[in-house]
Amino acid sequence: MRDKQIEDLKDYKYGFSTDIESIKAPKGLNEDVIKFISNIKKEPKWLLDWRLKAFERLKVLKEPDWQKPKYPKIDYQDLYYYSAPKSFKDKPKSLDELDPKLIETYQKLGIPLNEQKRLNGIAVDAVFDSVSVATTFKESLTKQGIIFCSISEAVQKHPELVKKYLGTVIPLTDHFFATLNSAVFTDGSFVYIPPGVRCPMELSTYFRINASDTGQFERTLIIADKGSYVSYLEGCTAPMRDENQLHAANVELIALDDAEIKYSTVQNWYPGDKDGKGGIYNFVTKRGLCKGKNSKISWTQVETGSAITWKYPSCILKGDNSIGEFYSIAITNNHQKADTGTKMIHLGKNTKSKIISKGISAGFSDMTYRGLVDISPNATNSNNFTQCDSLLMGNKCGAHTVPYIKNKNSDSNIAHEATTSKISEEQLHYCQQRGLNPEEAVGLIVNGFCKEVLQQLPMEFAVEAQKLVGISLEGSVG
Amino acid sequence: MLKINNLNAKIDKKSILQNFKLEINPGEVHAIMGPNGSGKSTLSNILSGKKGYDVTGEVLFENNDLFSLETEERAHKGIFLAFQYPLEIPGVNTNVFLKTSLNAIKKARGEKELDAIQFLKLVKEKAKELKFDEEKLGRQLNVGFSGGEKKKNEILQMSILKPKLSILDETDSGLDIDALKTVADGVNALRKNDNSFLIITHYQRLLEYIKPDFVHVLMNGKIIKSGGPELALELEKKGYENIN
Amino acid sequence: MEDQLKTDFEKNLRDFSYSDQEKKFKKNNFNVFLEQGFPNRKLENWKFSDLNQIIKNNIGELTFYNDYSKENQIDKIELINELEHNKLIIVDGKIEKIDFKFEDKDKIEVLAEQGEEIIKKNINSLINLNNAFSNKFCKIIIKKNYSLKKPLVVYHSTNKDTKFKNTNSRIDFKLEENACLKLIDIFKDNSEKNFINIYYNFELDKSSILKNYKIDRSINNNIKYSYNNIKQEANSVSETFILSSGSKFFKNEINCDLIGQHSSAFVNGIFDLDDENHHEIKSNINHLIENTKSYQLIKSVLEKKSKAVYQGKIFVSSEAQKTDGYQLSNAILLSENSEFNAKPELEIYADDVKCSHGSSSGSLDENSIFYLMSRGLNYKEAKKLLINGFLLDVIEKITDEEIKNLIKNLLGVKE
Repeated sequence: MRDKQIEDLKDYKYGFSTDIESIKAPKGLNEDVIKFISNIKKEPKWLLDWRLKAFERLKVLKEPDWQKPKYPKIDYQDLYYYSAPKSFKDKPKSLDELDPKLIETYQKLGIPLNEQKRLNGIAVDAVFDSVSVATTFKESLTKQGIIFCSISEAVQKHPELVKKYLGTVIPLTDHFFATLNSAVFTDGSFVYIPPGVRCPMELSTYFRINASDTGQFERTLIIADKGSYVSYLEGCTAPMRDENQLHAANVELIALDDAEIKYSTVQNWYPGDKDGKGGIYNFVTKRGLCKGKNSKISWTQVETGSAITWKYPSCILKGDNSIGEFYSIAITNNHQKADTGTKMIHLGKNTKSKIISKGISAGFSDMTYRGLVDISPNATNSNNFTQCDSLLMGNKCGAHTVPYIKNKNSDSNIAHEATTSKISEEQLHYCQQRGLNPEEAVGLIVNGFCKEVLQQLPMEFAVEAQKLVGISLEGSVG
Repeated sequence: MLKINNLNAKIDKKSILQNFKLEINPGEVHAIMGPNGSGKSTLSNILSGKKGYDVTGEVLFENNDLFSLETEERAHKGIFLAFQYPLEIPGVNTNVFLKTSLNAIKKARGEKELDAIQFLKLVKEKAKELKFDEEKLGRQLNVGFSGGEKKKNEILQMSILKPKLSILDETDSGLDIDALKTVADGVNALRKNDNSFLIITHYQRLLEYIKPDFVHVLMNGKIIKSGGPELALELEKKGYENIN
Repeated sequence: MEDQLKTDFEKNLRDFSYSDQEKKFKKNNFNVFLEQGFPNRKLENWKFSDLNQIIKNNIGELTFYNDYSKENQIDKIELINELEHNKLIIVDGKIEKIDFKFEDKDKIEVLAEQGEEIIKKNINSLINLNNAFSNKFCKIIIKKNYSLKKPLVVYHSTNKDTKFKNTNSRIDFKLEENACLKLIDIFKDNSEKNFINIYYNFELDKSSILKNYKIDRSINNNIKYSYNNIKQEANSVSETFILSSGSKFFKNEINCDLIGQHSSAFVNGIFDLDDENHHEIKSNINHLIENTKSYQLIKSVLEKKSKAVYQGKIFVSSEAQKTDGYQLSNAILLSENSEFNAKPELEIYADDVKCSHGSSSGSLDENSIFYLMSRGLNYKEAKKLLINGFLLDVIEKITDEEIKNLIKNLLGVKE
């Protein structure tokens, strides 16, 4: 019985694909494709110009090669940059008009979209390949002035907000993948919390890559106006496919005076099979700007999926007294590779940041924590605390810690600690003596190792993440 | 010896002490009792010269304006604070620290400084009196010391530096009964006609061993009641809420 | 610069009677350097210290040819008197004197003949520059079971009128089984605005012990780079201590390959910087076999506009189970314009290891200052006592008592 369960768990349970007809832009990356995307989304001219400007810039940018995970060259002309379910050509007005196959897909993923089965206290925006298919709880949020919709819809309905903030944290010219996203982004979520409003429920986006040969380039923009609060969750899965798929998202967060944004991710993209075939390339740019004084941005991530993960959710602490936090669990198994960490840029006075990173590598995988803490000369009385711990399982995998620490202010303090260790025989023995099998014992110990980070997740997510931590390491003991 | 008049103290615009008044004469032992957050530690910090408070009012120590003196000048004049949480200072040897401190004070007073041999003799003697583990004197200051050892170390410093006014900030907290007695013995041994004590504490326990001349009750930054040693017992019985 | 390099290189070849093999070696190295030039910030290793820029800003154009035809006056170099020692004197990159007067002559061999050597292309171009220009080959061999009675002091000196020059010196050392060498590097700069490039190669046979103390204390405007390449067989121990202080710019790089079981490496150091000095320590400790150990401790005290960089890397290969690796850096920033950068890096491929690193930087602890002042010390005394204590634990790591005391005196640190 137990073996059967483990056997089941070992398989990537989100690996099914949905047989649904889709509309795609022609393969390849060129001005016409960008115009196609912009046109199908009925975008205003400024946005098309903005995309084209990004594309111009992209032509001179080089794909970065400094990161540790190396990957075969991506042929950008051999990808689809837009894919949408055919029934979406005229967007359904309500959930009743939504293709039942889509509802079923999300049902299977554990994300019920229909009215009666909705998750309590979580509003969901479901993104399928390139477009947002449904947003729940919209009405009750609207009452408080909260805008939660797809970014395409926001472009139509709230162009002033989008125009004001889009690209202010991740500029057009930033780096290759971010600029690629700016040129071809398809959909994503948009959140605006008006001044003084505490968003009453968790907002959530669920990303699903379905179509093959398709890159997903979503864009998320979250603005917390003065004195507001929002907690946002992001989940991701993809079908099992032999080829590698590219996911290059941009996420921009802006917190004004006294506002707080909490952004949590559970990333479980298809990691490829045991031999490292297939899987998602997850090259994501996430950046938050603590623009106002006393603002706070907190990133929490549980990274278990993708063939290659490469992301550094960052905080620019511009406002005085602002706070940045980064809590991360990254697990790699089999042939997965992850290079992840954060940047904390202290610009304002009395700014504080905290980094807790837990890396676990097993199998033949490779894990790198890469981080930057930079306290500028003007950031008087600021401080950072960093703790990064790595756990290795077996001697075919690697764990690396590459922190960059820059302190240019004598009234500011930086403290950094890191350890690398393995699960001790004594710990395992103790657990087994108390009746746990080795897999359970490892799960227990690893969950303990990650506890500080798991605690940061909202309840519903924490349970899911805990299971995921166990599952990701199945088969790595012995 | 110490005269505090209309002392007001604020930290980050939050008022902690209001119109605080207190007078301590030579040879007297005063106890200030109060619940958590009543301003006890603020008082000891201000008297010893810790920065970060906005203060108004007047504090005279032997007719010197205390606020015009730096922290170390106050120490030179004879104010000693036994810290509630004595600091750990890695790399600094306890003996070296004590000798540097003693000689700095002696120098400021125009007294002859002690050489290494004289100093070691003195410190050994005092350590013995206080049942302080001599071996610890060779270690880094307070590093790896237990809570009780740190407090004893404060009293050891006090007995070596021979201050005129000793402020004991919750010296009893975290001490077991034997350590408490040792600390009290150390204090009692120092009691003389010309030196005074200000004992800041939450509980009456310490006062069983060090008999105060006066007891003051501090609530919300003000002394709400003063009396003799019997007040401490009354407090113990009734609790802070029912004192008026 | 390229023309200057080429002319100077030709002159250098002409001056010395190199063998064909040596000529080939030098030419090949020279070509690698021409191709790569001085390291700049685009290279990960030089991210915090752009040498190309630093040379441009502080020296300008360099020349690479040193005329050794005149006899250098080595008797004018101020020697240290505190301890008896053997001497090796380098002036403008040239070894002028080797004197092992305290030792048994048959226990030490000095080779002038360079064996076949593979050109390393990927370490950094400064090694190639050194190989191309350093003049006479010198390899010092300490024979089996011999411990030097007195330390060997290497004086790095320049002539008074040497300016805008690059000087290169290289020494190879081999410690045979169970041999022991204490090596002290002392910098006696008599001139300013030069780029001094030093390259040491150490082979540590079984159970041998190397102690290398690098003392850069005299204030000067030279730019310096030193590279120690250490290869360690079983049970050998290397101890490197760096007092980085006087020069305008100094980067000390230590590469240590632990290839024998139970070998261990210690790298400790102090940055005591003032004015606009910019110093760096970069270490690569490579644990390549089971049961090896490394320990690194770096302390910085930074005044005015000074800047210290510590890049410490621990690499553990998949064979290197039971590795014990530790590194810690602490910095005190005493001025609002001082700066501390660190990149403590771990790259680990074995699971049964104990590796950790820590780094902290900030101002002097105000509470400790207050505590000391409440005991009668004034601010200056309190500060000095705290810095004293801060530095003491790294000085205590020095295993040689004589040298420990020498360094304590140099820094004015008391116990």
